[in-house]
Amino acid sequence: MKYFWIQLVLIVGSLSLALMFIRRWDRANTRAWKRIAFSFFVLVNIYAVLRPTDVTWFAKQLGVGRGTDLVLYVMVLGMGFLTLNTFLRFRSLEKKLTDLARTVAISEGVRSNDERLAPEVLESSESVKA
Amino acid sequence: MTPPLSHLGEAVNDYHDTWLVIPAYNEGQVIADVVEAARKTFPNIVVVDDGSSDDTAKHVAQTGAHLVRHPVNLGQGAALQTGLKYALEQPTAQYFATFDADGQHQTADVEKMVELLRTSEVDVVLGSRFIEQNGQVPWIKRVVLRTAAAVSPTARKLKLTDAHNGLRVLNREAAGRLQITMNGMAHASEIVGFLAGSELKVAEVPVDILYTEYSRAKGQSLINGVNILFDISLRERGRR
Repeated sequence: MKYFWIQLVLIVGSLSLALMFIRRWDRANTRAWKRIAFSFFVLVNIYAVLRPTDVTWFAKQLGVGRGTDLVLYVMVLGMGFLTLNTFLRFRSLEKKLTDLARTVAISEGVRSNDERLAPEVLESSESVKA
Repeated sequence: MTPPLSHLGEAVNDYHDTWLVIPAYNEGQVIADVVEAARKTFPNIVVVDDGSSDDTAKHVAQTGAHLVRHPVNLGQGAALQTGLKYALEQPTAQYFATFDADGQHQTADVEKMVELLRTSEVDVVLGSRFIEQNGQVPWIKRVVLRTAAAVSPTARKLKLTDAHNGLRVLNREAAGRLQITMNGMAHASEIVGFLAGSELKVAEVPVDILYTEYSRAKGQSLINGVNILFDISLRERGRR
């Protein structure tokens, strides 16, 4: 039971990663939560720099030997979130780009094909072309 | 060459209701020949130039095919979807064939497939390289593609022998419902998955694939299969 709390933290973190992947992640309120988490992260950072021994104390409470190890674990989770967030962001951007490019391609294509192919149809139907 | 007469003479095999969708990326060397050859049978062709850096568009512009140009390179799946969307906007279009730009597909096979759509209840006809074993497929490719068809749950459900054949003919209903979101090469699996999840009737017919020097050089390398697997597995998780 020594590692119970840190195991709980890491497992909950991993599960929320999975949840983030199957849920839509670009809604306004999830964005707000991401901002709250980021502000919290900054505050904890400042605190940890000012009182490093407290981090070790907190790590011990969770069952982790040193503060450094706790920071490492949290960083791994943070990296996971960051990677996933970037991936989802890129995918939604790619979809938008595709839709945009397709719309441009088709409207442009309709215009130029009408111009390019219409005279040919006329010519061949009247057998003007030798 | 008397184009009007040849059209009139082929009243029996009239394919004005069929559109060939040809995605092309840097196929300048061969695209004009492929299009002109196909246009002998199929008057309606749309070539989607997928942001090629060579003169593909210029060559297509010299043919009688419709040309749609992606402003940037998006991938073959995206090009197919664009071509289908363009063809669907043509009111007379009833059948939609996806056709390769490198000349490995035969128009005779497309005719066969359209005939099947016309004369039966089938909504989608897929080409297969493996129904009639003709020894044209390089053996390593044969092993990998057959394995892919055998392990893919969707391909198994439809009892397909070849899950990654680029030659397909869809009727208007199927083409209108198909939404390819995989821009890259994973679209083949995506299409099979879509068909398996729908109640559309799917048939497979044997087709001949010409593995020319050119198409071998341009074709899918097997290592790209890793990319396809990866894309597909991410899509399955990320969609809901």
